[in-house]
Amino acid sequence: MKTVSASPHLTRKGNSTRSIMTDVLIALSPCVVAATVMYGYHVVINLVTCLIFCFCTELLYNLIVSKKWNREGVLRSSVFDLSFAVTAVILTLNLPAVMPVDIWGLTVFKGTGEIAFSFDTVILCALGSIFAIALVKMLFGGIGRNFANPACTGRIFLFIAFGGAGAFNLTSSLWADGMSTTAATWLGTRNVVTGGMLLDMFLGNTATAAVGETCVIAILVGYVYLSARRVIDPRVPLMVIGSLAVFAFLFDVVPSGARGANMFYSTVAHVLSGGLLFGSVFMATDYATSPNTFIGTAIYAVGIGLITALIRAFGSFPEGFSFALLIMNIVTPLIDKYIVPKPFGYIKPAKVKPDKQVAAWQSGVTDGKGGDK
Amino acid sequence: MKSKTFKKGISVPHNKYAGASALKDCPAPQTVYIPLAQHIGKPATATVAAGDVVKAGTLIGRADGLVSANIFSSVSGTVKAVARLKTPTGACDHVVIENDGQYTEQRLPALKDKSGESLLTRMREAGLVGMGGAGFPSHVKFSPKTAVDTFIINAAECEPYITCDYRLMKERAAEFIRGADYLARILGLDKFFVGIEDNKADLVDVLNAAAQNASVRAEAIMLKSKYPQGAEKQLIYAVTGRKVPLGKLPADVGVVVGNVHTAYALYDAAENGTPLFRRTVTVSGGAIGAPSNLWVRTGTRYSDCAEFCGGVSDDCVKLLSGGPMMGFALGDLEYSVTKTTGALLALTAAEANTLQPQPCINCGKCARACPMNLMPMYIDAYTRRGDYASAKKYGATSCIECGCCAYSCPAKRPIVQSVRLCKNKIRELKL
Repeated sequence: MKTVSASPHLTRKGNSTRSIMTDVLIALSPCVVAATVMYGYHVVINLVTCLIFCFCTELLYNLIVSKKWNREGVLRSSVFDLSFAVTAVILTLNLPAVMPVDIWGLTVFKGTGEIAFSFDTVILCALGSIFAIALVKMLFGGIGRNFANPACTGRIFLFIAFGGAGAFNLTSSLWADGMSTTAATWLGTRNVVTGGMLLDMFLGNTATAAVGETCVIAILVGYVYLSARRVIDPRVPLMVIGSLAVFAFLFDVVPSGARGANMFYSTVAHVLSGGLLFGSVFMATDYATSPNTFIGTAIYAVGIGLITALIRAFGSFPEGFSFALLIMNIVTPLIDKYIVPKPFGYIKPAKVKPDKQVAAWQSGVTDGKGGDK
Repeated sequence: MKSKTFKKGISVPHNKYAGASALKDCPAPQTVYIPLAQHIGKPATATVAAGDVVKAGTLIGRADGLVSANIFSSVSGTVKAVARLKTPTGACDHVVIENDGQYTEQRLPALKDKSGESLLTRMREAGLVGMGGAGFPSHVKFSPKTAVDTFIINAAECEPYITCDYRLMKERAAEFIRGADYLARILGLDKFFVGIEDNKADLVDVLNAAAQNASVRAEAIMLKSKYPQGAEKQLIYAVTGRKVPLGKLPADVGVVVGNVHTAYALYDAAENGTPLFRRTVTVSGGAIGAPSNLWVRTGTRYSDCAEFCGGVSDDCVKLLSGGPMMGFALGDLEYSVTKTTGALLALTAAEANTLQPQPCINCGKCARACPMNLMPMYIDAYTRRGDYASAKKYGATSCIECGCCAYSCPAKRPIVQSVRLCKNKIRELKL
């Protein structure tokens, strides 16, 4: 007796949830390398912490729910689709290299005053991982059912919960030069932009809040890889970036009084700064939290660009990409509810002209014939 | 020439292993089991009983009503029984005939008058049905209620592996073209199109030459090799640019689509008086010793066909009746070849999908593949939740079950299975 199942009996080879997640991990690897080169071993420590905690949280959740505390329970758990690893890597790249919480005092300094090891950062990475996997992903039904991007929400959780404790105020770039020795990114200072600064931003020669956001070249490599492997729709990041450029130009660059070439430089600086590029390639294209139609995705992408620009121009934070993404993640089900493609061969139902008698009856005037019809 | 096509759809590996293998006769076994339901509609009524002597071409089942078709014996011999046996989709009465090996034939008189009307009558007499898989009685399809201005022969053969239509057109081009012309005549047309996928481009010259010889106005249309190019609505759109409205028939936009083998069968019935009791079948797949195209008499067991082609090897994981995208999976080979059996496939684990479904990740690949522009992920999700009304909103009833969605799905979700369940539930609950 052979297997009997419904058609189709073929499937695309080399196309599975795990292969997609592996592709995303490969696309993220240049960013990991760039971050490690720029920020040192702290990135590796954070990455390992996030990977371990994301893995353990997801596995534990699976075992608790299935109540199978044995080999079978482990084998049947969802950790093998590798989506936990994607969350862990994106979360790591979305966090600063070190996040010392001042009041805990768990940071170990070198003789030179540099941070040698920050136990605070490890704790925060673990918290962020548990929050992202348990609360955002697994509680809502696991992969494909999360209402928001887990990594993005994990980062926002840490940012809001520990931002006041100083965790997000300090970054230390190995390449930090005169322009950015302090914590401030261009979005924090909004200096007059020069061509040299743009080149720095492009190569990653800036200190930023998050380690993965700096090297534009690494992000571009990931973008090209994901597009070539057809994991993401290459138009989505372009729409996000394009709409941000337009709205940032309108809301921030024009009111700032920049003229001539500076207008262009400032707009480009907006595009190259903050989490926009990284987020639009790796986070805005997240399957579960973006709409399923092209028109829906376009609305979503423009929404992200608009809200990011609004936060940058008028908000109290220098950067707003993750908030914009989170808001549009939540709007996604609504977009998907109303943007439904018309099936092939769909014809608009013709408007039925109201029957004269019915119309007369409705208006209360009857001619004696159409009463009960 | 640029190949015409439709929107969306997928590219599948063609795997047309049997493409170069010429048609050969598959010997009929000692006993044939001829189903009385080889078509959509009511099964035919048996006209023979145990002990009756029949010839190849003797009427053994009479059409019961308008949407039904005559059934003919495929061998000469003695009827042993009329018994209810299993079919790939259920069960029906089979006429069991002991083959005497003589193959003496009983034919209808050759048709002198080749007018549309007498051809239509002959079509009904000879038990012709759409031989692409659905098996809709041809005489119903070829008497449309609305005016028809275009007739298309569906020679796309977009399903992987299947090559029997290709071989038939290549080897019997003249007969096929004449038969297709007869079909057009029934519709009152003097011209028709033949839609061919460009992976069979060599047919275009063959068919054009045959059409010229027979002084028939036929135009071979090159179509892009893309699945499901042979789906009726997609084929009509590719050839004519017309969209068949949802819930309507092709005839409502003035088009009728005919099958290659049906055209050949009409030629055979009109010129030679041979009723429909044999057809071409592709026996292929990685687990088949020698993939071939065969002439098979209806009622021959699949196991006999497989045996003739070198047998099924042990690494076979799936047996299919029909193409791998829309065919039926079989538990074993104890089924009969019918008028609609285009292929018998034995797939190995390397070819067939044997993976377990995983949770949907909402990637949208199914929606990007759907040639009907539906949202398969929602149909699947709502059906599984039992919310059939919402599933209908996302197009469950418009689905043509081509399988593009499930083929593209990284989570290997059985989307077509959900759609079928949903359609049944909608009918059952009258939603």
